[in-house]
Amino acid sequence: MIEATGLTKQYGPKTAVDDISFTVRPGQVTGFLGPNGAGKSTTMRMIVGLDRPTSGRVTVNGKQYADHHAPLREVGVLLDAKAVHTGRSALNHLLAVGATHGIGRKRVDEVIALTGLQSVANKRVGGFSLGMGQRLGLAAALLGDPATLVLDEPVNGLDPEGVMWVRQLTRHLAAEGRTVLLSSHLMSEMAQTADHIIVLGRGRVIADAPVGDIVATSTGTAVTVRTPDAARLTALLATAEATVTSTAPDLLIVNGLTAPRIGELAAAERIVLHELTPTVGSLEDAYMQLTADDVEYHAGGIPTSQEAAR
Amino acid sequence: MTTTTAPAPAPVSSTLSGVSFGGILVSEWIKLRSLRSTVWCYIILIVISIGLSPLMAFAFSSGVQPGVEPDFDTAQSIAAQVATASIGFSQLVVSVLGALVITGEYSTGMIRSTLSAVPKRLPALFGKAAVFAVVTFIVGFVALLVGLLVAIPVLGNGDIPVDLTDGALWLSIAGGAAYLALIGLFSLAIGAIIRNSAGGIAAALGAILVLPTIVSVFAVISMQEWVGNLNNLLPSNAGARMYTYPVEMLQDQFIVGTQLEPWQGALVLLVWTAALFLLASVLLKRRDA
Repeated sequence: MIEATGLTKQYGPKTAVDDISFTVRPGQVTGFLGPNGAGKSTTMRMIVGLDRPTSGRVTVNGKQYADHHAPLREVGVLLDAKAVHTGRSALNHLLAVGATHGIGRKRVDEVIALTGLQSVANKRVGGFSLGMGQRLGLAAALLGDPATLVLDEPVNGLDPEGVMWVRQLTRHLAAEGRTVLLSSHLMSEMAQTADHIIVLGRGRVIADAPVGDIVATSTGTAVTVRTPDAARLTALLATAEATVTSTAPDLLIVNGLTAPRIGELAAAERIVLHELTPTVGSLEDAYMQLTADDVEYHAGGIPTSQEAAR
Repeated sequence: MTTTTAPAPAPVSSTLSGVSFGGILVSEWIKLRSLRSTVWCYIILIVISIGLSPLMAFAFSSGVQPGVEPDFDTAQSIAAQVATASIGFSQLVVSVLGALVITGEYSTGMIRSTLSAVPKRLPALFGKAAVFAVVTFIVGFVALLVGLLVAIPVLGNGDIPVDLTDGALWLSIAGGAAYLALIGLFSLAIGAIIRNSAGGIAAALGAILVLPTIVSVFAVISMQEWVGNLNNLLPSNAGARMYTYPVEMLQDQFIVGTQLEPWQGALVLLVWTAALFLLASVLLKRRDA
């Protein structure tokens, strides 16, 4: 259980995290979703005390991270794949980190096996690919067999097999009753991994709800209707306070009414329907809609050929 | 989406080991020995001592008039100078290593792993300092001693007898090793404050090498007593008294101000180092990692 209340972080004049409060519950995977610069990493760093909040506080299982008797056994953290000295072997890195908590060779060998690092355990980390670095970071996070995991972009740099593995691992850890918080800017990843999503934008919580709710509430559920009598149906639905858009003479997209209700209204007026299809918005759409106003770094427009030629 | 109702893992039992200072010491020892740069720096300490001590011995023995045996104090003082001949160089090696031990963690990002494992932070800094100081003292002591042992036959050729049962000689060697450990800690503290390898090394070497040169030139030019005293209180000058064989030497005409006793020199360097560690501790607690 991670609880943040009024958490704020300012770097000089810039507010990275702006008075956010949220709760991450055990037994499910909670996704931290947001565009770059939304404050995901900063919040995660504050959870484990690497950054000091400007105001507010965040606790893990009721205590601030630093106040725990055995922090690594409470919270496993993967902040970035590069939190490792490049001149040291993976094995020595894990031994050194574990030693602070009296965690010895046996457990280190276990996490090396769990993350599939056996063949490179004695190689220096400097030569690791991003994917191997991520595996080492996950191995370090799992060292203390913690009840809470905080993983910042864990699938970054992994190959498809690695992505699948992280997905299964996080689902498995949550199923064991652990608290799992993971961040990503990839909506598709979240859709497949998370049960609950906290959407951040410009340092604020935009949405905090189960995955299904986020998809349903933000795009609404649109219904595609095909009818030869489009004009009459449009007028009829408008009186029922639905939003109707038309993309073809016989095709209407209706927001604000359920498919059964539209069917009933049409039947009452004896309007013929050729198609009546509810379309569920994707998480991707929901995310774009939620964060549209909160993207910190917009991509510059693609220069036109005229501009490029200059 | 299925909601799993598996029981939550039991809260962390107090029977499982938590963060302990002993564990931090083991961790820092693993870190120190598992980097090639550290191992090389320590090998260099021993190599330059084996190289320079006999060279210094040769210089002394060729300066002695044949058949005229120097008195006990002079011979032992020469032995101490021969044993500690390499310190001028090895202090630079130790200083670079001391700064790198901490700045290397910042430049690679390792510090985030270190401070997540030890979120109280200060035990990590002090554990690192303790392990580094002890290892540097031991390696330094071995280096100086081996240098002297290699040089004794050379001194013997020049009719300079060395008495290894002389406690004051051993104290000078131990003082030299302690000086290396302290100057290493001095640099480590600077590294912890600056957090950047190039900057940390430059600042540490500046304080150890450049500052004394500037102040001593100024002391000689001005011939002011207080400038001389200030010069004697600089970290490397005060520390140098730690490995000087305690015998009345001819007053060097370039020495201005009051010379410190060896223990006073050690104390002054200790105060410098402690002050820097105090600043480093405050900053480590306050700054984001």
